[in-house]
Amino acid sequence: FVSYQVEILDWKTKEQLCFLDKVEPNATIREIRLMFHKFYPQWYPARQSIKLDPKGKPLRDEEILQHLPVGTTATLYFKDLGPQIGWTTVFLIEYTGPLFIYFLFYFRMPFVYGLDERFSSSPHPVVNLACICHSFHYIKRLIETVFVHRFSHGTMPLRNIAKNCLYYWGFAAWVAYYINHPLYTPPSYGKKQINFAVIMFLLCEAGNFSIHVALSDLQRNGSKTRKIPYPTKNPFTWLFFFVSCPNYTYEVGTWISFTIMTQCVPVGLFTLLCFIQMTIWAKDKHGTYLREFKDYPSLRMPIIPFLL
Amino acid sequence: MAASGGGSRVDNGYGSQQPRRRKGPGALATAYLVIYNVVMTAGWLVIAVGLVRAYLAKGSYHSLYYSIEKPLKFFQTGALLEILHCAFGIVPSSVVLTAFQVMSRVFLTWAVTHSVKEVQSEDSVLLFVVAWTVTEIIRYSFYTFSLLNHLPYLIKWARYTLFIVLYPMGVSGELLTIYAALPFVRQSGLYSISLPNEYNFSFDYYTFLILVMISYIPVFPQLYFHMLHQRRKVLSHTEEHKKPE
Repeated sequence: FVSYQVEILDWKTKEQLCFLDKVEPNATIREIRLMFHKFYPQWYPARQSIKLDPKGKPLRDEEILQHLPVGTTATLYFKDLGPQIGWTTVFLIEYTGPLFIYFLFYFRMPFVYGLDERFSSSPHPVVNLACICHSFHYIKRLIETVFVHRFSHGTMPLRNIAKNCLYYWGFAAWVAYYINHPLYTPPSYGKKQINFAVIMFLLCEAGNFSIHVALSDLQRNGSKTRKIPYPTKNPFTWLFFFVSCPNYTYEVGTWISFTIMTQCVPVGLFTLLCFIQMTIWAKDKHGTYLREFKDYPSLRMPIIPFLL
Repeated sequence: MAASGGGSRVDNGYGSQQPRRRKGPGALATAYLVIYNVVMTAGWLVIAVGLVRAYLAKGSYHSLYYSIEKPLKFFQTGALLEILHCAFGIVPSSVVLTAFQVMSRVFLTWAVTHSVKEVQSEDSVLLFVVAWTVTEIIRYSFYTFSLLNHLPYLIKWARYTLFIVLYPMGVSGELLTIYAALPFVRQSGLYSISLPNEYNFSFDYYTFLILVMISYIPVFPQLYFHMLHQRRKVLSHTEEHKKPE
């Protein structure tokens, strides 16, 4: 039985930050993080990036010391990731904002459209419908955050939250401003356009929810290993035959339907930005799947069947 | 903000590092870039000469814009190619940074000076045109010589020194021009759309221009101090190299 010694150096200055004696060979990186945290209480485990190489990728919590390419005296490098915030907290803040901000415009708070229009309501039914759909979307997201999603990383850097909130909240305000404006013009094709959009909206929301549930079920027993998602009995999940990230596909569909419903350019711009961002995420995820699984279905594209 | 000082195009890879340290573009790309930079140097020289001749002919420095309007538009717009150079990797600069700098110049040329005819006779236009002209002549000849691995110290010095005056001069000219354009934009509703309309969208170009002016406040000092920092690095580095000779 050989016990290891672990020295942890600062990734930039190479200064020795701590030296751990008598470490078990089967110790996990998570345990090493906890030990390091005892020396430096301000650097809780979520903030610690522990690497084998100063410029390399951080080691995962589950990695075991003796399986790493190190001698019995292991040298690890530490990088402070800065204050971290839990994903669940982030999502709750990001999604509650748009929900309430939209209401400020829908109920025409005096500071929005002026005192003359305060608390007035729109003569157009589609404006009420849009509010219901927008709210439904964000309430659904909040419910999913609490009950459905399983996050692979626990946290993200705190500074991201300001940036993300600015984006979500800012766009919600901009979009809500035009839809609830006293001079709002309803869609050119009237009821036909609106009804089509509502049906598309509901289908996409159902699809998106189905995918989130399917992805969550993949990791039901709390395992952290990635698995290939497959279509289930739920027809909405059959999109998995064609794309790696059908949740993003459905999400873009939701916003397209909202654009058609409201016939509003700012909504269209938001949809475009969502599409670009989600395509980037989807391509990334798709690449990860391809790298990890040799038998990954070759028919699948990242986000749009056969195309993208 | 529109990089009007000598050498204030930040971080283009030619400035703070010697070309031979990087992998560099291939032979064909190098030939193309040399031609591109020579053409641009010539173009801005044409603009410079045009300004001087117009000044001599008119006897005053007012309203010289009209005599160099076409080459200015042509060569400044041509700089959009530099975004592609970065995108294709033949120039080791950030696409985003280059795009930002070129687009701000193109914006001033077309969306302000060209679009608002009343400002074309303003003296502020001459201010930024002169700043741009001197900057670009030095910058493009700097690139040309760098690509040919034969950079005269004078050009390097000029690029990293003249910006100290040219950059504030250009920024002043740009800001004064935008400011002069404001009342005409307000009056004519240029590039603006108001409610109600079937797209449920509104855009106020007047407000947009004011926001552009405000954005100079955070951006200009950052770029300026970056160039000062680069200057210290580049010019002292050369001094050390010269000593053994």
